[in-house]
Amino acid sequence: MKTRIKKYNRLAALLAFIALPLLIWTLGDVPRRSFLKEAISLLTIISFFMMLLQFFLSRGNGRMLKEHRTGKVVKLHKILGYVFVSILLLHPFLIVLPRFFEAGVDPGEAFSTMLSTWDSRGIILGLSAWGLMLALGLSSMFRNRLGMKYTTWRIFHGVLSIVFISLATWHATDLGRHTDLPMSVYMIALAGLGAILLLRIYFIQLKNKLGHE
Amino acid sequence: MSIKSINGCIGCGTCIETCPTDVIRKDPGSGKAVITYPADCQICHLCRMYCPVDAITISPEKSIPVIVSWG
Repeated sequence: MKTRIKKYNRLAALLAFIALPLLIWTLGDVPRRSFLKEAISLLTIISFFMMLLQFFLSRGNGRMLKEHRTGKVVKLHKILGYVFVSILLLHPFLIVLPRFFEAGVDPGEAFSTMLSTWDSRGIILGLSAWGLMLALGLSSMFRNRLGMKYTTWRIFHGVLSIVFISLATWHATDLGRHTDLPMSVYMIALAGLGAILLLRIYFIQLKNKLGHE
Repeated sequence: MSIKSINGCIGCGTCIETCPTDVIRKDPGSGKAVITYPADCQICHLCRMYCPVDAITISPEKSIPVIVSWG
């Protein structure tokens, strides 16, 4: 019975975080471009959904932790985190990469124009999310050197994740080439649900703490 | 119509400066580029070639091949 539930959980995760985004991307009314550009877009979309999945592979998702071994879930959370944070850190560079292979603006010039458009809300959001993501990655990698208690780090990591995903989702819905209405609604719904799952834990902890005092 | 769509514009205004026939304007509300006079598009591809985030699509079915000098 438990094996079957585990199988269903894995299938649900695959459907919700890979298959459905791909379906929305396929049905979207966005003009298709070269293979390289579409491959980069797809990689970015899947990486973003993997970051959303991270919220459901955390303590917030108590129901899933009942079915799976916590150690395995934490290991998966770490692997997915390091892999997809690394990919998303390359996102600004991947946008200008195809410019190396076609006529027009120089990739370096395109990159500097993109980063210096400070009057664009989407760019400011993207840069902020990129900085937070770097902070998330580095603070996880060097957790032991931060001199924080594990429980303090866990709250820090959770709060940073919520702020990051809020800014990143806003950035994606504002500037994303493939974020039409269905994709935007789906991203916002998953980000909202993930943040609520985590925030619920903090409120329960706070309530218990106040109850003991 | 030749210039088809703008998806993912960051509002840098490069396409507005490069368009020789003033097809694209900046939307005052969103600050993003919008196709305002599509009928005036001469399919020169300059907006697409100079957009830093590759947000502009030129309709392929009505497009003429872009002439790029070499040498």
